[in-house]
Amino acid sequence: MFRAIVLKNLVRQRVRTSLTALGIAIGIATVLALGVITSGLKASLGEFVTAGGADFMVAQKGASDLSFSAVPEETVAALARRDDVARADGFELKITTLGSNPYFILYGFEADALGAQGLELREGELPAAADEIALGVDAAASNALAAGDTVVFEHRTFRVSGVYEVADTLRRSGGVALLATVQELGNRPGVVTAAYVTVAPGEDPVAVAEAIERDLPTLAAIADVDDYGEVDQGVRIMDAVNLAISLLAVGIGAIGVMNTMIMSVFERTREIGILRAVGWRGSRIVRMVLLESLALCGIAAVVGIALGLLATRAVLAIPTVSSFLVPSYAPEVFIRALAVGVVVALIGAAYPAVRAVRLSPMEALRHE
Amino acid sequence: MSEPVISVRGVRKSFEDGRIVALRGMDLEVAEGEFVALVGPSGCGKSTLLHLIAALDRPDEGAIRVAGRALEEANDLSAHRAHEVGLIFQLHNLMPALTASENVQVPMFELGLPGRERRERAHALLAAVGLEGRERNRPPQLSGGERQRVAVARALANEPPILLADEPTGSLDSEAGATVLDLIERLRRERGLTVVLVTHDTGVAARADRIVTMLDGHVVGSSPNDRSAAAPTTRLAASTRVTP
Repeated sequence: MFRAIVLKNLVRQRVRTSLTALGIAIGIATVLALGVITSGLKASLGEFVTAGGADFMVAQKGASDLSFSAVPEETVAALARRDDVARADGFELKITTLGSNPYFILYGFEADALGAQGLELREGELPAAADEIALGVDAAASNALAAGDTVVFEHRTFRVSGVYEVADTLRRSGGVALLATVQELGNRPGVVTAAYVTVAPGEDPVAVAEAIERDLPTLAAIADVDDYGEVDQGVRIMDAVNLAISLLAVGIGAIGVMNTMIMSVFERTREIGILRAVGWRGSRIVRMVLLESLALCGIAAVVGIALGLLATRAVLAIPTVSSFLVPSYAPEVFIRALAVGVVVALIGAAYPAVRAVRLSPMEALRHE
Repeated sequence: MSEPVISVRGVRKSFEDGRIVALRGMDLEVAEGEFVALVGPSGCGKSTLLHLIAALDRPDEGAIRVAGRALEEANDLSAHRAHEVGLIFQLHNLMPALTASENVQVPMFELGLPGRERRERAHALLAAVGLEGRERNRPPQLSGGERQRVAVARALANEPPILLADEPTGSLDSEAGATVLDLIERLRRERGLTVVLVTHDTGVAARADRIVTMLDGHVVGSSPNDRSAAAPTTRLAASTRVTP
């Protein structure tokens, strides 16, 4: 019955309760949608970092964006010569336009490294000439291209030599060409964006990565997405934006809940006086106010999660977004959204609850 | 004489930073099982005294003992309100969103009773006040007299030994008022309650064992009530006269 009292209190002011819940729901939806998208993006980056079975990737330390990273080809060659390294495959990235996708990523590898990238050909062959590219299955499908067709990048015509399948999202929706071709398209001769490193048998990848960073201080070794921020500030910015929006959602939501709960407690001052007069302890009054707030935010969380999932689907319906992003519905994303609801409920109810319990029963009973 | 169940000694109470003095050195003792009516003009301090005995407020000075417990020494006055006293107000003060049964169950939370026991006890109490079958009605669906009877049932929910009633018939018509007074008298007899009732109406007071008259914040008279001699002074009192 305690729960019934709590729910009846909420239902009394239906419009106010609904509008407050909707406000919080929008905040939770934003946090959820952002969480699903950013964790999806991070998952894609995680796959990219160790693509083709490499132990880690090396790139220019402190680059604001990976596409600005420049590692001299001699450095990659020096890495490949190290005793503790089995392979070091330098690659160049070029972000260009393919059809309606302005974020098509073209990867350039040396011919002998292309075969080691875990690309499974579905049709045709890997590029062997300067005017050839192979497309990932998603890129080929979304642009209705097949082996033998031609595409134009940067005013140059290329023949699609083949279509490949690969585990990571970014390369499935991208393409590969010879290193020199991509360097020429980007006007970056003699440098690569980064290199995939596979350590020699028996070597510890962590120790090798540390040794490389020590020997070549301009390089950063990236073994997972958490290290990615060292070569791309975008990830850090994304995390910061995510945190800022979560905090904003909590702040705005808490003010909304506090306003609603203060009004609710004020309107029921006399009733709270009655409850105190019939013997309810202060802690029970606090529990009642907190539960009301939690119930309000619980409803908001359910609606917010539903809205967030709808928003995510709407964003992913944009072809350019779906080309590089697979949403990640990781449990922590939902936990974070629910945590926003709980924190909002507790912060929003704290002051009204204290106010309710501080009223003397007599003062409350005199309230009109 | 055994120890009084209510003892008020030298109690002073003022409001608005001392500008309004409600009680000026009030003394009162009530024996166990006694029915005391507090009478006097408006503003004489009757309700204030009742509220202090109910621990809804604290006195500025003086001592109040209820059921052997000194209220000024008690840290948790909620326990006193929950277990020692049942309160009936002039206005029923029911929760409008709750049913009659739920209103009666509200004080029982402090007893930690399981839901089923709470419902059964509320059902029995509502039956005792003549509201069997009205358990699911909310206050707006009940008449004034019925609401006040629900309030009586709520006051007795935790089986307190003391019933404090502040003008319980003040907002009722004669017939409804008579029913409520009959009910209080019957429950008092059946349960051996100590009753302190505040009233303006000398006819209503005539039902008590003792009438305590207050003026300007202290007692000016306290006399055992001779029921057979007391003449009803109002239509309500006349209509509610019971045969001993």
